[in-house]
Amino acid sequence: MASVPSQMPLQGLFGDYQVGSFYDEMFAAQGEPRAHYAKIFEKLASMVPSQFEERRQHADHSFLLQGITFTVYSDGRGTERLFPFDLIPRIIPKAEWQRIDRGLAQRVVALNLFLQDVYGKQRIFADRQIPRSLVYSCKHFMREVIGIEVPRGIHTHICGIDLVRDSKTGEFCVLEDNVRTPSGISYVLENRLVMMRTFPDAFQEYEVLPVNHYPAELSRILRSLSPRGGDDAQIVLLTPGIYNSAYFEHSFLAQQMGIELVEGRDLIVDGGIVYMKTIHGLKRVDVIYRRVDDEFLDSLTFRRDSVLGVPGLMGAYRAGNVALANAVGNGVADDKAIYAYVPAFIRYYLGEDPILRSVDTYLCSKKEDLAFVLDHLPELVVKAVGESGGYGMLMGPTADRERLEEFGKRIKADPRNYIAQPVVALSRVPSYDPALGVIEGRHVDLRPYCLYDGEKVTIVPGGLTRVALQQGSLVVNSSQGGGSKDTWVLFGED
Amino acid sequence: MLSRIAESLFWLARYIERAEYTARILDVNFHTVLEQSKDRYRLHWDPLIVMAGEEERFRKAYGEADAQAVFEFLAFRHDNPSSIVQCVTKARENARTIRDYISREMWEDINSLYFTVNRFNPSEEMAAGPHRFCDAIRFGSHRFHGVTDATLPHDEGWEFLRVGWFIERAEMTARLVDVQYHILYDAPADIGGADNHQWMAVLKSVGAYEAYHRKYHSSIEPEKVAEMLIMHPLHPRSIRFSMTEVQAGLRAISGTGPGSYANEAERLTGKVLERLRYDIITEIFKHGLHAYLNDMLQMCGSIGEDIARSYFYYAVVA
Repeated sequence: MASVPSQMPLQGLFGDYQVGSFYDEMFAAQGEPRAHYAKIFEKLASMVPSQFEERRQHADHSFLLQGITFTVYSDGRGTERLFPFDLIPRIIPKAEWQRIDRGLAQRVVALNLFLQDVYGKQRIFADRQIPRSLVYSCKHFMREVIGIEVPRGIHTHICGIDLVRDSKTGEFCVLEDNVRTPSGISYVLENRLVMMRTFPDAFQEYEVLPVNHYPAELSRILRSLSPRGGDDAQIVLLTPGIYNSAYFEHSFLAQQMGIELVEGRDLIVDGGIVYMKTIHGLKRVDVIYRRVDDEFLDSLTFRRDSVLGVPGLMGAYRAGNVALANAVGNGVADDKAIYAYVPAFIRYYLGEDPILRSVDTYLCSKKEDLAFVLDHLPELVVKAVGESGGYGMLMGPTADRERLEEFGKRIKADPRNYIAQPVVALSRVPSYDPALGVIEGRHVDLRPYCLYDGEKVTIVPGGLTRVALQQGSLVVNSSQGGGSKDTWVLFGED
Repeated sequence: MLSRIAESLFWLARYIERAEYTARILDVNFHTVLEQSKDRYRLHWDPLIVMAGEEERFRKAYGEADAQAVFEFLAFRHDNPSSIVQCVTKARENARTIRDYISREMWEDINSLYFTVNRFNPSEEMAAGPHRFCDAIRFGSHRFHGVTDATLPHDEGWEFLRVGWFIERAEMTARLVDVQYHILYDAPADIGGADNHQWMAVLKSVGAYEAYHRKYHSSIEPEKVAEMLIMHPLHPRSIRFSMTEVQAGLRAISGTGPGSYANEAERLTGKVLERLRYDIITEIFKHGLHAYLNDMLQMCGSIGEDIARSYFYYAVVA
């Protein structure tokens, strides 16, 4: 920080930027950029707003051409919207990243051991680390997969673990685990590509760790799962189809890995073997990277009305004739009530202290927690345990009286279904507001993507930074005005 | 290659070709009309509607055909499944389901064509005339051919695109010749039977005007125009040329050599080509051009159906 004169006057794009009472990742205090942001700050501050606006439009055009859009069907014609991209990068110093990297790897290994255990020997119940009833009552606990030996013991091939910074200390902590079919990695890779095209000069000032090895690493892991071994394993990515909001990502990853993108109707199970329908007849499939949820995978085992999956798939999986990534039944590990026990898993399975802190969590299924939650509803965030993507949530501080009462009733009626956490005031990163034409602080979270091959965890440096582009908003979901940023982990010292 | 991908490639090509062909015919006819008397209007516009196979839908929406109505109907109407906008939209939808398979540049290209087409404001374009719009479509289609040729491996997938492109082109040319003859020969004598300008427009719409003069060194004669569009061995829009491409594509897919066939589609294609090679135009006229072309269209339909049976669909196994 020594190289930067303090109280540098803000100007141009920064207007009268206010750091406010939040943890601001660029500024240590009003007008004082942190050392690792100094160069990008100078670059931005010296830019004429129209110059910046021109680059922003160029970036938007790139995304539009690539069809990196999501579809809004409310107008009946299916309008495509861009997932907004903010050109100001988020920068994480190397030392801080190394700690995150170790902490995530530790967490992924522990979650995998937990899944091996609950669908296998169930030592953890015998050792009284977690109530059996809590695990068995999880919405996504699948009795159907108990006893299935998954290839190489891997359940959590791909995890997206959501991190947020504590607003007081600035420390990264875990908000949520996503170990079913986490999405977003394609934005990480595309954001970097577009960023390098539109802001090449910014990269010259920094040594940024690359991210583009993700598809190759994922491909290597998928290949290693093939029940037939050998290099000519047939690997496919199973997508629900073009109407799925993550379809772009499915096609992107399939293309990057050079594997077939298939829909359920392209596959067929015969004699316990999965085949795909090609123009020259049926061809055996060895590994399926599935982006279809558990309950839609096989209409013979799970939901009967599902047309997205493949009838008989679970039989082939159980017989060991096909590998699935991620494994079936993973949802039990990212259940929001189980989340509270992950630090205990790390101690129990690994004999280590958790490197990354979790957010304090109250389980409404516990009597004393329930009483506390009901007394403090206006200060808490309440979440339904089996949901994701911001569904079934109550934001205490912004909810009106009626909504608070209604949620209180819901919790009392089904306490097992809810947990509560204190509101985390997400950290902020300067972001451009196209309507105002200036840069202002906006709240962000971070989702790194972890790949596990059974021995080591590989995490592409950084991950997806989601940003709540609306002034004051804490909601980073794309359906509610969220956007994303390129995330830089620095190679050299700060 | 997955059957679904092959099917999408096939239709992707067909829709692009249909959009381009429609744009060509629309553009040329519009400008020919500018030099015509009002009472000849019907002769120009009716064939276009009949060709698109959407006469009933058109009559319900507009009644009489005139330049504005035909332009709007063929270019912009969302409820006309053959309109240019609809064809481009469906081509893009097909590309979207296989975007992992096609090259990134192909996807960017078709996506940009889609946005270009949707940026046109129908009422503005209708006031300005169809040239600008049709030019964009024609150019977009050419560009897509070029990008595809230059960036997609020329493997089985490419062959499905080729088959789609040329079966659609063969059908469109057959319809174009059929409908024009039908209407012009049915016209009362005082408006004139065979009309040079109209036939010139037909040639221009498929980009064959210059080639015609090079080959025949004569004024425009309907029989010769028909001969050129049906049987020319090397003009890329003749039916014969198109069916030769279809045959080459189908053979590359199945690995069949000349003189035999692997499926019904190949057998019928061979049969059509025999006729196109050895028939002569005077004979065809003697037996009736309409019957001849109609036969050809039905064969093309059967070829399309058998391609689907052989490569796209799997019987449901219990």
